[in-house]
Amino acid sequence: MFLVTELVALLATNLILTQALGTSTLFIAAGNKKNLLWTAITITVFTSVGSGAAYIINWLLPDTFADLTLLFYTLMVGAIYVILLTALYFAGSDSFETTRKYVHVSAFNCAVMGTLFTITDRADAYPQFNTFFNFVFSGAEAGTGFIITAFMLTAAFRKLNSAKVPASFRGFPAMLVYLGLISMAVYALR
Amino acid sequence: MNNKKAVLLKGLLGDNTVLSSLMVISPVIVCGNTLENAIALIYAFSAITFFSVIIGSFVPKRLPYAAKIIIYAIISSIVYIPVKTVAREFFPDVVTHVGIYFPLLAVNSLIVVQSETKFYRMSRASMIPSLVFYILGFDVVMIVTSFIRELLTYGTINGKLVDADTLISGLGLPFGGFILLGLMCGIYRKVRSVIRRDSGETGGDGNVSGN
Amino acid sequence: MQNKIKSERLIWVDIMVTLLTLGLMDYFYYGVRAVVLGSVCVAVSVVAEMISLRLMNRRFTADDLTCVSDALIIVLMLPAVFDIKIAALACVFAVIVAKNIFGGRLNMIFSPAAAAYVFLYTSWKNQLLMFPEPHVHTGVFEKASNLVSSSSHSFNITGKMSESDFEILLGNVSGPAGAVSILLLAVAAIVLLFRRSISSGAFIGSISATVFLAFIVPASGTRMSSIKYTLVTNMVLFASVYIIADKRIAPKRDYYAFFYGFFVAAFSYIVVITTAKENAVVLVSLLFTPVALGFKNLEKHIENTKLAEQEEAEKAAAEAAVTSLTENGEEAIADEQ
Repeated sequence: MFLVTELVALLATNLILTQALGTSTLFIAAGNKKNLLWTAITITVFTSVGSGAAYIINWLLPDTFADLTLLFYTLMVGAIYVILLTALYFAGSDSFETTRKYVHVSAFNCAVMGTLFTITDRADAYPQFNTFFNFVFSGAEAGTGFIITAFMLTAAFRKLNSAKVPASFRGFPAMLVYLGLISMAVYALR
Repeated sequence: MNNKKAVLLKGLLGDNTVLSSLMVISPVIVCGNTLENAIALIYAFSAITFFSVIIGSFVPKRLPYAAKIIIYAIISSIVYIPVKTVAREFFPDVVTHVGIYFPLLAVNSLIVVQSETKFYRMSRASMIPSLVFYILGFDVVMIVTSFIRELLTYGTINGKLVDADTLISGLGLPFGGFILLGLMCGIYRKVRSVIRRDSGETGGDGNVSGN
Repeated sequence: MQNKIKSERLIWVDIMVTLLTLGLMDYFYYGVRAVVLGSVCVAVSVVAEMISLRLMNRRFTADDLTCVSDALIIVLMLPAVFDIKIAALACVFAVIVAKNIFGGRLNMIFSPAAAAYVFLYTSWKNQLLMFPEPHVHTGVFEKASNLVSSSSHSFNITGKMSESDFEILLGNVSGPAGAVSILLLAVAAIVLLFRRSISSGAFIGSISATVFLAFIVPASGTRMSSIKYTLVTNMVLFASVYIIADKRIAPKRDYYAFFYGFFVAAFSYIVVITTAKENAVVLVSLLFTPVALGFKNLEKHIENTKLAEQEEAEKAAAEAAVTSLTENGEEAIADEQ
């Protein structure tokens, strides 16, 4: 019972299905199933670590400089980007060529930045939510939502790219309509 | 001459930013439901993208890829500050309504990814008109989508009531944006393939990720 | 192949017969308005199917008449006094957006009827969930008055139903006419199960989950009344027959189909008891489409693995046969020499 309620909550806060954040990235990664899953996992790393760092930035940045938030978030995501690339390089320089592309795709996009801004907005609206733990947890939750959507797309991948789909709708357009219908069901259940 | 024209118009018709490459679709899906939102977003997207790509073209090409991407993102985040200040003057309500999608325009794929693979491979003289047409590609889709959604969702055109008796409120929501954009994307591809066939060009409708 | 086409057509005929019977009940309770609504939806669906197939450079054949059964399923989930124009729009949505964009009946992803219902649910929820009382006949062009919420709604809120069991069996309760005629639905389910026109695995899975959860976590006073009322409300039975057990959507093997049906029904039961959301099973069945697709992918994967193993075994057997033949031949030559 608890699991189902949590799953509904996770779907209801899913950034792709409810806010279309990271849709372009999801489609770019949709070239093949392996890419899709690894990109989703890398984005989860970015959203979780980034959200923790966003909490610190929000805490340090005075309200009068609110317009600089984006710049600081960008610098922070840039730092995570470099750290992750360096870590991957030292972890396995042989597989670096393969793994770094996931980091390149996942760093600067609406999924990561959107998550940071959404969590910040929520913390502004509900002060009890403004804790470091909540930021990291929400970042991880957003990333998990991305992984779930990646799975949903992977399940339909063969059918959406089938030769039976009219040529004009094959691939991207069919994916958009597919996500639209799933998003419609999520909206109806909210 | 024709070839030059085709290259220029590529961003608007042949390789539309939204309908072909599916870039910058989140604002179209979520905020592209009224013409008022559309105009504010078009202003912000056009200004941020144009100035960021132009300034970014001065970044040395020798730098590593990751460093260049970070610099492009920083440039657009800086450009975003005056753009938002101006937007607050002209579209105060929309800036609040659009919320997080306003800053997100600064990390759009056209600036962060496509500038490196597309624009910076051109000379600056040919890059500027091409960039303008890519930006116009987004603007046109945003206007068309917002017009359709506002009319069918609220029964208004730019806030003015028109005679529409059956309204589809769901079309104004993100899922409506997904579905409408998917339909527009398919129609765009169909039209493009018919034009290409008529003009004897090769290339089909394309597949996912170009695969 | 010929057999497959024949069986698909027979399935469609079976489903149509049961849907038309439910349609008759609709006419009995709500008069000619229900017939007009159904006819318009069927006509619009056929036209939408013809036009979209034409655009896809395909011919309209007898197999494409499945759009008629989809239209009837949609109509039977609606109040008889529902706006005809909006119902027609939902049918167009079902045919074009939920079906033909993905390649039509040859490449089904979503249940068109479920998608159309959710489409209506998100944009015209108030109109969709307000019903005329049974036996109140509304004229074709008349505006409906005295609409009431469904008996499912009152059950979700109070955990009780005021109608007698006999009335519930006959469908003499407020709600979508097709989905409340429990006796007819039960007969339809048995007929379709025995004629293998619906996925028995998915149907049994769906009913089992509902019964199991209604017993474990009762939604009503006693466990028995919980099971009874949960099965007859919120379109559970109707959706189990015509949406969850739809052979075009459910996984092929009964084993996987059972789990698919089980998950959909279990999830929707919990949604109903935690949020009182009316007819959640239809919404959840649309949301669980990726689960059905996942099971289908798994089936395909297993099939391919088995085929590969079979081919390998055949190849090995052929090689062994050739080797033994060669050896025998060599021995024979040696003997002759």
